[in-house]
Amino acid sequence: MKKVLIFLLPLGFFVLVALFLFQGLFSDPRARDSSLVNKPLPDFNLPDLMQPQVEYTPEVFKGQVSLLNVWGVWCITCAIELPYLTELSDNGVRIVGLYYDQDTDPDFGTKTVGTIQQEVNAKLGQLGNPYAFNIFDTYRDYSLDLGVTGAPETFLIDKKGVIRMHHIGDVNPRVWKNKIGPVYQRLMSE
Amino acid sequence: MKRFLICVALILAASSFTHASEEKYQFEDPAKRELFLELTQELRCPMCQNQNIADSDAMIANDLRRKVYQLLKQGKSREEVVVYMKSRYGDFVSYKPPVTPATLWLWLLPVIFVLGAVVFIVQSRKKAAVKADPEALAKAEVLLEKD
Repeated sequence: MKKVLIFLLPLGFFVLVALFLFQGLFSDPRARDSSLVNKPLPDFNLPDLMQPQVEYTPEVFKGQVSLLNVWGVWCITCAIELPYLTELSDNGVRIVGLYYDQDTDPDFGTKTVGTIQQEVNAKLGQLGNPYAFNIFDTYRDYSLDLGVTGAPETFLIDKKGVIRMHHIGDVNPRVWKNKIGPVYQRLMSE
Repeated sequence: MKRFLICVALILAASSFTHASEEKYQFEDPAKRELFLELTQELRCPMCQNQNIADSDAMIANDLRRKVYQLLKQGKSREEVVVYMKSRYGDFVSYKPPVTPATLWLWLLPVIFVLGAVVFIVQSRKKAAVKADPEALAKAEVLLEKD
């Protein structure tokens, strides 16, 4: 009995550790539960990127299911997802952009809004424009409120303005089919 | 020698650079400056996983440092800053994990291990003692008889 135990205990321990480490091979270290899911969008009051005199509040998300896509022209992965997002928006998905500039210090930033608008227009003209409109996160405060770690990130927002999903990384056909699409369809019929 | 001098020059340049970035945020109150340095050590960069925000050069770390600075300037306390960050980035953002059913094991496992080891040692000692006794007694007996 004791001999069997001496043999089995380390074996059992080894199997447990091996299983734990094995599943670690397939887990994405960047995947985390966003602390904002199922909460209403944090409050904001931000200008339109193209027409700075127009101001938006969370009200613009009421009544429609939307994707809020955080992006910038400097972000390489964003450029990769733009054509697919455009395809989605051609199929009737409402996509709102949250644009922020890369200037590491907005307090001492030298870029003018005009320069940014030019860059954005050039990029969207080249790769397609999926956005109903772009909210300009002037001081990058709002992406901080949303718990954004870096572009691109996409939020799925329901008709009441509640965040239902937070996706880190690009939106591609696979992600849409397996992750975002099914929830989107459900929210549409809610 | 020339190489050595270049190396020294580079090291000096690098150190003055880090110093400059440290002092980007000015505080009148030295206690607040201390708190700022402490907090940026303790808060974890959400983008780069294994760096704190003082250490990281990622844009998000930059933004978080700026935010910590602003919040401290507004007179927020240490707890308020941590809560602010956690409500946005989750428990992940702090290097000090809270005690939850899932993280409880971090504290419990070492204690359980030590207790188990103590029980194991005590038990094996007992057995060894019991085993040794008859032999030792016999030997003692022999010795006594010889006398």
